[in-house]
Amino acid sequence: MKPLRIALAGNPNCGKTTLFNKLTGSHQKVGNYAGVTVDTKEGRLMHKGREIAIFDLPGTYSLTAYSLDEIIARDFVLDEKPDLIINVLDATNLERNLFLCLQFQELGIPIVAALNIIDQAEAMGLTIDHRLLSRLFQIPIVRTVGAKGQGLEELLDAAVAVAESPIAAIPTPYGNELESVLTGIIEVLNTDLPFAASFPSRWMALKLLEKDADAAKKLSAHKNRSLVEASLAAGILTLERHSGRDAEILISEARYGFIHGAAKETVTRDRATVPLTERIDSVLLNRLLGLPLFLGILWLIFQATFTLGAFPQEWLDLLFGWMAERARTILEPGLLQSLFVDGILGGVGSVLSFVPLVILLFLFISLLEDTGYMARAAFVMDKFLHIFGLHGQSFLPMMLGFGCSVPAIMAARTLKSTKDRIVTVLVTPFMSCGAKLPVYILLAGTFFSSHAGAVVLSIYLIGVLLALGSSWVFRKTVLRGETTPFVMELPPYRMPTFRGVVWHVWDKSFQYFKKAGTVILAASVLIWAITTFPQSPEGTPPEQAMEASVAGWVGKALEPLVAPMGFDWKVAIATVTGFAAKETVVSTLGILYKVGDSTKQEASLQAALRNDPVFNPLVAYTLMLFTLILAPCFAAQATIRAELGTRWLVFYVLFSIMVSWTLCFGVYQMGTLLGIGV
Amino acid sequence: MTIGDLKTGDSFIVKGVELSRETGKRLADMGFTKGVEGKVVRKALFGDPFQVCILGYHVSIRRAEAAGIQIERMVTPS
Repeated sequence: MKPLRIALAGNPNCGKTTLFNKLTGSHQKVGNYAGVTVDTKEGRLMHKGREIAIFDLPGTYSLTAYSLDEIIARDFVLDEKPDLIINVLDATNLERNLFLCLQFQELGIPIVAALNIIDQAEAMGLTIDHRLLSRLFQIPIVRTVGAKGQGLEELLDAAVAVAESPIAAIPTPYGNELESVLTGIIEVLNTDLPFAASFPSRWMALKLLEKDADAAKKLSAHKNRSLVEASLAAGILTLERHSGRDAEILISEARYGFIHGAAKETVTRDRATVPLTERIDSVLLNRLLGLPLFLGILWLIFQATFTLGAFPQEWLDLLFGWMAERARTILEPGLLQSLFVDGILGGVGSVLSFVPLVILLFLFISLLEDTGYMARAAFVMDKFLHIFGLHGQSFLPMMLGFGCSVPAIMAARTLKSTKDRIVTVLVTPFMSCGAKLPVYILLAGTFFSSHAGAVVLSIYLIGVLLALGSSWVFRKTVLRGETTPFVMELPPYRMPTFRGVVWHVWDKSFQYFKKAGTVILAASVLIWAITTFPQSPEGTPPEQAMEASVAGWVGKALEPLVAPMGFDWKVAIATVTGFAAKETVVSTLGILYKVGDSTKQEASLQAALRNDPVFNPLVAYTLMLFTLILAPCFAAQATIRAELGTRWLVFYVLFSIMVSWTLCFGVYQMGTLLGIGV
Repeated sequence: MTIGDLKTGDSFIVKGVELSRETGKRLADMGFTKGVEGKVVRKALFGDPFQVCILGYHVSIRRAEAAGIQIERMVTPS
């Protein structure tokens, strides 16, 4: 028997992910669907001898064409044609959740609803007559508590039952006037049977009345397109003339009209309580306390990340050092040993030693997300970010950017408007990522020993200022346009579940592991190759061997370009390798200053740098700035390309080169002129 | 009168949304439709954005959106 294919849908914050994880356990994989580069998670399970595949759709409030997530959700249903949808409804927030349910019903697909978080709804004094609700919506409804795994068996039973007796979904009536207009348009749509088979006519008619751009595009495939358009125009005219309002608003009102009626009959509230959420918010969102509290939480997170992360980071450093030692004794000296020890272990090892930092940061961020505080942070920060043309919700990607740009850039998908999303992606790499830290630590530790902390902090701050400044510039130039709305739910606070947090941390860290495993590995080998070939005769000092290598030629060729920033050809090579992966700036310098195993002998690299007349505190600071601003690693660049396309990537790389060069030139020249740090 | 004219703690009934097509539709989909009751829960520092309770849940909107939502203020006995 073919596996049953079920799409899991629902609003954001309805407990959908928890339910998905409970249902599928660890049997999940990530796949791409419908040509969009957004991951749809797929999980498999067996229920009473029946194989079931569950696809986790993005959480959305509606199914308009205005946001990427919503288009993905509806296109999945249209293109992949799952057997049915399990629609997760947050019982504490029933009406808005039912709004999405009606829209899936319009797609003509069988639905089973999970009335989720029913325990909290009851604790709030809400009683929901789910049998009556089920009759009104003509769909089976099962009461569930996802976090406790309650009701899941019944939910799957209902799903299998629906799939085995496919009764055509009965559309919910939207009132006489709208229905008569709809009937007219559906009639014309049905004149093209193949078209009606791929796009359910009632759904298509509603979307066209909503002036949905994507539906209008799909209509061009209809053989009687002009007839449909005529019928549509007449319908819109009828509706809008009678009400004096826009057709798309009327349709939302029609849906809510039905929902309000159903809610009145099925939901009773026996007492009015002041929910805990409101009491917490009266402190955390207090007009005066809100911002200081938020900054305090942020400060605590960074303190905890860097203090706690230092220990495992040291252990990993030791582990990789030990592995390098072992490799040196096992492998014959020569190219293979060099490739493995200097190239692969050195490159990938230095990335992996940042895993603890990144995981800790993601852990704290996941806690903020899962409790519901992240939305409050966006609320508190929105006014400030708005000044620079950013969005309250840009805040989360920017925070993640301190860990690793790859998941951070992907997190920008939560932004509804394309322009907001582009701006956020473009400025996120300015948030100094974990991989840049070793460069700062080396240089600041060498040249600013007593003020190293303050110097590194200043680099982080410059990154934040650059992010805000560039956003402002983009908004005034290439991404001009009306400011987009900030309509964001402030979900009730929830106690994060252990599983949920682990899942989120894993989900984000996985992007980072994947990067270390693939792009960084490839980049490490590439860097090793260009610094090794063409090989110099045995016994050549490493520095001269490097000078004669491909990397040496590149460095020499670039020297005139970097000289105005106070760099020589060695620094030029380091920045070129840094283009691939930032952490390699340190290991490249290590090789260039012939201190052998660079990561282990930091003290000797520091001494070598101090003795090089090219370096002084000013040059070191300029190099830190250059590392901060110049385009992020290959992996981040690949992510930008995947999210925004090649044109934006090229724009971004050129922009970052221009900004980094100009700023570093300015800093170095001013510093030299004023005699600071020389 | 719009939500933008309301003070913290004021309750209202929605009459309609006068905003760009996309914003208007999004707000309507989030529940800001004719006849729905709501309340301004609080405003952030500098009076923007607004936290509004509608259909039993809380949502944050900017002053610009608040000023496009036509309402009738409800007189609530304090």
